[in-house]
Amino acid sequence: MRHAPRILGQSLGILALSAALAFGVNAARTDGLPLAYAAAKSAVQLDASGGEISVKDAALLLLTGRAVALDARSQLEYEMGHIQGALWLPPREFAAQFQDIKPLLAGKEAVITYCDGEHCPLGHNLAQHLRGAGVKNVFVLKNGWALWQAEKLPVTKGPAMSSLPTKGQEGICRDCGK
Amino acid sequence: MQGLRQVERQPARQEGSAPWESLAWLLRLLVGCMLIYASADKILHPQDFASIVKDYRLLPEVLLHPVAIWLPWFELLLGVCLYTGFWRHGALFLATALLGAFWLALIVNYFRGIDVGCGCFTSTPGEASPMLWYIGRDALLLTLPLAAWEAGRRAEAQQA
Repeated sequence: MRHAPRILGQSLGILALSAALAFGVNAARTDGLPLAYAAAKSAVQLDASGGEISVKDAALLLLTGRAVALDARSQLEYEMGHIQGALWLPPREFAAQFQDIKPLLAGKEAVITYCDGEHCPLGHNLAQHLRGAGVKNVFVLKNGWALWQAEKLPVTKGPAMSSLPTKGQEGICRDCGK
Repeated sequence: MQGLRQVERQPARQEGSAPWESLAWLLRLLVGCMLIYASADKILHPQDFASIVKDYRLLPEVLLHPVAIWLPWFELLLGVCLYTGFWRHGALFLATALLGAFWLALIVNYFRGIDVGCGCFTSTPGEASPMLWYIGRDALLLTLPLAAWEAGRRAEAQQA
Protein backbone atom coordinates (compact mmCIF):
# COMPACT_ATOMS: atom_id res chain seq x y z
CA MET A 1 0.00 0.00 0.00
CA ARG A 2 3.02 2.29 0.28
CA HIS A 3 2.86 2.71 -3.49
CA ALA A 4 -0.77 3.85 -3.41
CA PRO A 5 -0.16 7.62 -3.81
CA ARG A 6 2.32 6.99 -6.60
CA ILE A 7 -0.05 4.57 -8.39
CA LEU A 8 -2.90 7.04 -8.07
CA GLY A 9 -0.86 9.94 -9.42
CA GLN A 10 0.55 7.95 -12.32
CA SER A 11 -2.88 6.51 -13.17
CA LEU A 12 -4.42 9.97 -13.31
CA GLY A 13 -1.56 11.10 -15.49
CA ILE A 14 -2.03 8.21 -17.92
CA LEU A 15 -5.81 8.72 -18.04
CA ALA A 16 -5.43 12.45 -18.74
CA LEU A 17 -2.65 12.04 -21.28
CA SER A 18 -4.46 9.26 -23.16
CA ALA A 19 -7.68 11.30 -23.28
CA ALA A 20 -5.81 14.37 -24.59
CA LEU A 21 -4.05 12.25 -27.23
CA ALA A 22 -7.20 10.39 -28.26
CA PHE A 23 -9.51 13.37 -28.64
CA GLY A 24 -6.78 15.56 -30.14
CA VAL A 25 -5.91 13.03 -32.85
CA ASN A 26 -9.59 12.26 -33.45
CA ALA A 27 -10.30 15.94 -34.05
CA ALA A 28 -7.37 16.22 -36.45
CA ARG A 29 -8.00 13.12 -38.56
CA THR A 30 -10.40 13.19 -41.50
CA ASP A 31 -12.03 9.87 -40.62
CA GLY A 32 -12.46 10.72 -36.94
CA LEU A 33 -15.61 9.75 -35.11
CA PRO A 34 -18.18 12.37 -34.11
CA LEU A 35 -18.44 12.55 -30.34
CA ALA A 36 -22.18 11.98 -30.43
CA TYR A 37 -23.38 8.57 -31.54
CA ALA A 38 -25.90 8.79 -34.38
CA ALA A 39 -28.86 6.48 -33.99
CA ALA A 40 -29.90 4.29 -36.93
CA LYS A 41 -31.17 6.21 -39.92
CA SER A 42 -34.83 6.10 -40.85
CA ALA A 43 -35.77 3.61 -43.57
CA VAL A 44 -37.50 6.51 -45.32
CA GLN A 45 -35.02 8.80 -47.04
CA LEU A 46 -36.94 11.70 -48.54
CA ASP A 47 -35.67 14.02 -51.25
CA ALA A 48 -35.46 17.47 -49.69
CA SER A 49 -36.68 19.05 -52.93
CA GLY A 50 -40.00 17.21 -52.74
CA GLY A 51 -41.58 15.30 -55.62
CA GLU A 52 -43.41 11.99 -55.57
CA ILE A 53 -43.38 9.49 -52.73
CA SER A 54 -43.86 5.73 -52.84
CA VAL A 55 -46.81 4.12 -51.10
CA LYS A 56 -44.41 2.22 -48.82
CA ASP A 57 -42.71 5.39 -47.61
CA ALA A 58 -46.03 7.22 -47.34
CA ALA A 59 -47.57 4.39 -45.31
CA LEU A 60 -44.61 4.29 -42.94
CA LEU A 61 -44.68 8.03 -42.36
CA LEU A 62 -48.47 8.30 -42.05
CA LEU A 63 -48.93 5.27 -39.78
CA THR A 64 -46.25 6.55 -37.41
CA GLY A 65 -47.77 10.04 -37.33
CA ARG A 66 -44.73 11.67 -38.94
CA ALA A 67 -46.66 12.95 -41.94
CA VAL A 68 -50.03 14.45 -42.83
CA ALA A 69 -52.10 13.27 -45.80
CA LEU A 70 -54.13 15.81 -47.73
CA ASP A 71 -56.93 14.48 -49.93
CA ALA A 72 -57.25 16.54 -53.11
CA ARG A 73 -60.35 14.78 -54.50
CA SER A 74 -63.94 15.97 -54.38
CA GLN A 75 -65.84 16.17 -51.12
CA LEU A 76 -68.12 13.31 -52.16
CA GLU A 77 -65.19 11.01 -52.91
CA TYR A 78 -63.56 11.97 -49.61
CA GLU A 79 -66.71 11.21 -47.67
CA MET A 80 -67.11 7.82 -49.33
CA GLY A 81 -63.64 6.82 -48.13
CA HIS A 82 -60.21 8.29 -47.54
CA ILE A 83 -56.84 7.50 -46.00
CA GLN A 84 -57.25 7.32 -42.24
CA GLY A 85 -56.33 10.67 -40.73
CA ALA A 86 -56.28 12.50 -44.07
CA LEU A 87 -57.56 16.05 -44.26
CA TRP A 88 -59.75 17.20 -47.13
CA LEU A 89 -58.19 20.07 -49.06
CA PRO A 90 -59.00 20.19 -52.79
CA PRO A 91 -57.01 22.78 -54.80
CA ARG A 92 -60.10 24.93 -55.44
CA GLU A 93 -60.68 25.24 -51.67
CA PHE A 94 -57.06 26.00 -50.92
CA ALA A 95 -57.37 29.75 -50.43
CA ALA A 96 -60.39 29.36 -48.16
CA GLN A 97 -59.19 26.50 -45.99
CA PHE A 98 -55.38 26.54 -45.90
CA GLN A 99 -55.13 28.82 -42.88
CA ASP A 100 -57.23 26.35 -40.84
CA ILE A 101 -55.08 23.42 -41.87
CA LYS A 102 -51.69 25.13 -41.70
CA PRO A 103 -51.16 24.61 -37.93
CA LEU A 104 -51.72 20.88 -38.39
CA LEU A 105 -48.80 20.62 -40.80
CA ALA A 106 -46.25 22.06 -38.37
CA GLY A 107 -43.53 19.70 -37.18
CA LYS A 108 -44.32 16.94 -39.65
CA GLU A 109 -41.60 15.31 -41.71
CA ALA A 110 -43.78 15.30 -44.82
CA VAL A 111 -47.05 16.62 -46.20
CA ILE A 112 -48.46 14.06 -48.63
CA THR A 113 -51.09 14.98 -51.18
CA TYR A 114 -53.04 12.36 -53.05
CA CYS A 115 -55.75 11.88 -55.60
CA ASP A 116 -57.10 8.82 -57.40
CA GLY A 117 -55.93 7.58 -60.80
CA GLU A 118 -52.61 7.67 -62.63
CA HIS A 119 -53.48 10.87 -64.49
CA CYS A 120 -55.39 12.77 -61.83
CA PRO A 121 -53.68 16.22 -61.60
CA LEU A 122 -55.27 17.30 -58.32
CA GLY A 123 -52.53 15.90 -56.07
CA HIS A 124 -49.84 17.78 -58.00
CA ASN A 125 -51.97 20.94 -58.14
CA LEU A 126 -52.46 20.89 -54.40
CA ALA A 127 -48.74 20.29 -53.89
CA GLN A 128 -47.98 23.36 -56.01
CA HIS A 129 -50.35 25.48 -53.92
CA LEU A 130 -48.72 24.24 -50.73
CA ARG A 131 -45.20 24.95 -51.97
CA GLY A 132 -46.35 28.37 -53.08
CA ALA A 133 -47.61 29.02 -49.57
CA GLY A 134 -44.20 28.14 -48.16
CA VAL A 135 -44.87 24.58 -46.98
CA LYS A 136 -41.74 22.43 -47.20
CA ASN A 137 -41.43 18.67 -47.65
CA VAL A 138 -44.53 18.37 -49.84
CA PHE A 139 -44.80 15.02 -51.63
CA VAL A 140 -47.36 13.61 -54.04
CA LEU A 141 -48.58 10.06 -53.65
CA LYS A 142 -49.49 9.43 -57.27
CA ASN A 143 -52.66 7.35 -57.71
CA GLY A 144 -52.64 7.41 -53.92
CA TRP A 145 -56.19 6.33 -53.09
CA ALA A 146 -56.06 3.26 -55.35
CA LEU A 147 -52.61 2.21 -54.13
CA TRP A 148 -53.56 2.73 -50.48
CA GLN A 149 -56.63 0.53 -50.87
CA ALA A 150 -54.72 -2.10 -52.83
CA GLU A 151 -52.35 -2.50 -49.88
CA LYS A 152 -55.33 -2.77 -47.49
CA LEU A 153 -53.98 0.13 -45.43
CA PRO A 154 -56.36 1.78 -42.93
CA VAL A 155 -59.14 3.91 -44.42
CA THR A 156 -62.17 5.67 -42.98
CA LYS A 157 -65.42 7.16 -44.27
CA GLY A 158 -67.19 10.25 -43.15
CA PRO A 159 -67.52 13.99 -43.52
CA ALA A 160 -64.60 16.24 -44.19
CA MET A 161 -63.05 16.51 -40.76
CA SER A 162 -59.48 16.54 -39.60
CA SER A 163 -58.90 13.51 -37.45
CA LEU A 164 -55.43 14.60 -36.41
CA PRO A 165 -55.47 15.08 -32.65
CA THR A 166 -54.10 18.41 -31.52
CA LYS A 167 -53.78 19.97 -28.09
CA GLY A 168 -57.25 19.89 -26.62
CA GLN A 169 -58.79 19.74 -30.06
CA GLU A 170 -60.65 16.73 -31.44
CA GLY A 171 -60.46 17.91 -35.02
CA ILE A 172 -61.69 20.60 -37.32
CA CYS A 173 -65.14 19.97 -38.68
CA ARG A 174 -65.47 21.68 -42.02
CA ASP A 175 -68.93 20.71 -43.07
CA CYS A 176 -70.75 20.08 -39.81
CA GLY A 177 -74.16 21.64 -39.75
CA LYS A 178 -74.06 22.59 -43.41
CA MET B 1 9.86 17.97 -18.78
CA GLN B 2 12.39 16.76 -16.23
CA GLY B 3 9.73 14.49 -14.79
CA LEU B 4 8.85 13.05 -18.18
CA ARG B 5 12.44 12.08 -18.87
CA GLN B 6 12.90 10.61 -15.47
CA VAL B 7 12.09 6.92 -15.53
CA GLU B 8 11.44 5.74 -12.00
CA ARG B 9 14.61 4.95 -10.16
CA GLN B 10 15.24 1.34 -9.35
CA PRO B 11 16.24 0.64 -5.75
CA ALA B 12 19.73 -0.73 -5.26
CA ARG B 13 19.64 -4.36 -6.30
CA GLN B 14 20.06 -6.86 -3.46
CA GLU B 15 21.27 -10.42 -3.67
CA GLY B 16 18.43 -12.77 -4.69
CA SER B 17 16.00 -10.16 -5.98
CA ALA B 18 17.29 -10.29 -9.56
CA PRO B 19 15.20 -13.25 -10.77
CA TRP B 20 11.94 -11.70 -9.52
CA GLU B 21 12.90 -8.35 -10.89
CA SER B 22 13.73 -9.87 -14.25
CA LEU B 23 10.45 -11.79 -14.28
CA ALA B 24 8.46 -8.66 -13.40
CA TRP B 25 10.25 -6.76 -16.18
CA LEU B 26 9.61 -9.56 -18.68
CA LEU B 27 5.92 -9.76 -17.80
CA ARG B 28 5.50 -6.00 -18.01
CA LEU B 29 7.19 -6.08 -21.39
CA LEU B 30 4.85 -8.83 -22.54
CA VAL B 31 1.72 -6.99 -21.39
CA GLY B 32 3.04 -3.76 -22.88
CA CYS B 33 3.66 -5.33 -26.30
CA MET B 34 0.26 -7.00 -26.19
CA LEU B 35 -1.50 -3.70 -25.46
CA ILE B 36 0.41 -1.84 -28.18
CA TYR B 37 -0.48 -4.56 -30.67
CA ALA B 38 -4.13 -4.57 -29.52
CA SER B 39 -4.45 -0.81 -29.94
CA ALA B 40 -3.10 -0.54 -33.49
CA ASP B 41 -6.04 -1.88 -35.50
CA LYS B 42 -8.55 -0.02 -33.34
CA ILE B 43 -6.75 3.29 -33.85
CA LEU B 44 -6.63 2.71 -37.61
CA HIS B 45 -10.33 1.77 -37.90
CA PRO B 46 -12.33 3.82 -35.39
CA GLN B 47 -15.71 3.23 -37.07
CA ASP B 48 -15.32 -0.55 -36.91
CA PHE B 49 -14.20 -0.41 -33.30
CA ALA B 50 -17.16 1.83 -32.40
CA SER B 51 -19.56 -0.78 -33.78
CA ILE B 52 -17.85 -3.46 -31.65
CA VAL B 53 -18.18 -1.28 -28.55
CA LYS B 54 -21.87 -0.88 -29.39
CA ASP B 55 -22.28 -4.66 -29.79
CA TYR B 56 -21.24 -5.15 -26.17
CA ARG B 57 -24.43 -3.28 -25.18
CA LEU B 58 -22.98 -2.19 -21.89
CA LEU B 59 -22.63 1.55 -22.43
CA PRO B 60 -25.26 4.25 -22.89
CA GLU B 61 -25.31 5.74 -26.40
CA VAL B 62 -23.80 9.00 -25.23
CA LEU B 63 -20.60 7.18 -24.19
CA LEU B 64 -20.20 4.90 -27.24
CA HIS B 65 -18.11 7.17 -29.42
CA PRO B 66 -16.07 8.82 -26.65
CA VAL B 67 -15.09 5.38 -25.34
CA ALA B 68 -14.36 4.08 -28.86
CA ILE B 69 -12.12 7.10 -29.46
CA TRP B 70 -10.32 6.99 -26.13
CA LEU B 71 -9.88 3.28 -25.37
CA PRO B 72 -7.34 2.41 -28.13
CA TRP B 73 -5.12 5.36 -27.19
CA PHE B 74 -5.40 4.40 -23.55
CA GLU B 75 -4.21 0.90 -24.46
CA LEU B 76 -1.38 2.33 -26.53
CA LEU B 77 -0.20 4.65 -23.77
CA LEU B 78 -0.39 1.85 -21.19
CA GLY B 79 1.62 -0.36 -23.53
CA VAL B 80 4.28 2.32 -24.07
CA CYS B 81 4.53 2.98 -20.31
CA LEU B 82 4.91 -0.71 -19.52
CA TYR B 83 7.43 -1.17 -22.31
CA THR B 84 9.59 1.78 -21.32
CA GLY B 85 9.11 1.50 -17.56
CA PHE B 86 7.89 5.09 -17.33
CA TRP B 87 5.02 5.42 -14.80
CA ARG B 88 5.13 1.62 -14.64
CA HIS B 89 3.30 1.25 -11.32
CA GLY B 90 0.31 3.23 -12.50
CA ALA B 91 0.40 1.59 -15.92
CA LEU B 92 0.46 -1.90 -14.45
CA PHE B 93 -2.43 -1.07 -12.14
CA LEU B 94 -4.51 0.34 -15.01
CA ALA B 95 -3.62 -2.54 -17.35
CA THR B 96 -4.80 -5.02 -14.71
CA ALA B 97 -8.03 -3.06 -14.26
CA LEU B 98 -8.53 -2.82 -18.03
CA LEU B 99 -8.04 -6.52 -18.67
CA GLY B 100 -10.26 -7.31 -15.69
CA ALA B 101 -12.97 -5.04 -17.08
CA PHE B 102 -12.73 -6.69 -20.52
CA TRP B 103 -12.97 -10.09 -18.92
CA LEU B 104 -16.02 -9.12 -16.85
CA ALA B 105 -17.70 -7.59 -19.91
CA LEU B 106 -17.27 -10.86 -21.81
CA ILE B 107 -18.65 -12.88 -18.90
CA VAL B 108 -21.66 -10.56 -18.50
CA ASN B 109 -22.47 -10.85 -22.19
CA TYR B 110 -22.00 -14.61 -22.13
CA PHE B 111 -24.64 -14.91 -19.44
CA ARG B 112 -26.90 -12.44 -21.29
CA GLY B 113 -26.65 -14.72 -24.31
CA ILE B 114 -25.04 -12.00 -26.44
CA ASP B 115 -22.38 -13.44 -28.69
CA VAL B 116 -20.09 -10.48 -29.34
CA GLY B 117 -17.04 -10.30 -31.56
CA CYS B 118 -14.40 -9.75 -28.89
CA GLY B 119 -12.66 -6.80 -30.56
CA CYS B 120 -9.67 -7.55 -28.35
CA PHE B 121 -6.95 -7.52 -30.99
CA THR B 122 -8.79 -6.51 -34.13
CA SER B 123 -11.60 -4.15 -35.03
CA THR B 124 -12.95 -6.51 -37.70
CA PRO B 125 -16.50 -7.43 -36.65
CA GLY B 126 -16.21 -10.64 -38.67
CA GLU B 127 -13.86 -12.10 -36.09
CA ALA B 128 -16.04 -14.66 -34.36
CA SER B 129 -15.08 -17.43 -31.99
CA PRO B 130 -17.02 -19.06 -29.17
CA MET B 131 -17.46 -16.72 -26.22
CA LEU B 132 -15.95 -19.27 -23.85
CA TRP B 133 -12.73 -19.17 -25.89
CA TYR B 134 -12.56 -15.39 -25.48
CA ILE B 135 -13.32 -15.65 -21.75
CA GLY B 136 -10.65 -18.31 -21.24
CA ARG B 137 -8.07 -16.39 -23.26
CA ASP B 138 -8.76 -13.12 -21.45
CA ALA B 139 -8.50 -14.91 -18.10
CA LEU B 140 -5.03 -16.10 -19.10
CA LEU B 141 -4.08 -12.61 -20.29
CA LEU B 142 -5.28 -11.19 -16.97
CA THR B 143 -2.84 -13.44 -15.12
CA LEU B 144 0.09 -11.68 -16.83
CA PRO B 145 -0.21 -8.27 -15.09
CA LEU B 146 -1.23 -10.02 -11.85
CA ALA B 147 1.91 -12.14 -12.04
CA ALA B 148 3.93 -9.00 -12.80
CA TRP B 149 2.51 -7.41 -9.62
CA GLU B 150 3.45 -10.44 -7.57
CA ALA B 151 6.94 -10.71 -9.05
CA GLY B 152 7.53 -7.00 -8.43
CA ARG B 153 6.28 -7.34 -4.86
CA ARG B 154 8.65 -10.26 -4.16
CA ALA B 155 11.57 -8.43 -5.70
CA GLU B 156 10.90 -5.43 -3.46
CA ALA B 157 10.47 -7.67 -0.41
CA GLN B 158 13.87 -9.24 -0.99
CA GLN B 159 15.47 -5.86 -1.52
CA ALA B 160 14.05 -4.55 1.77
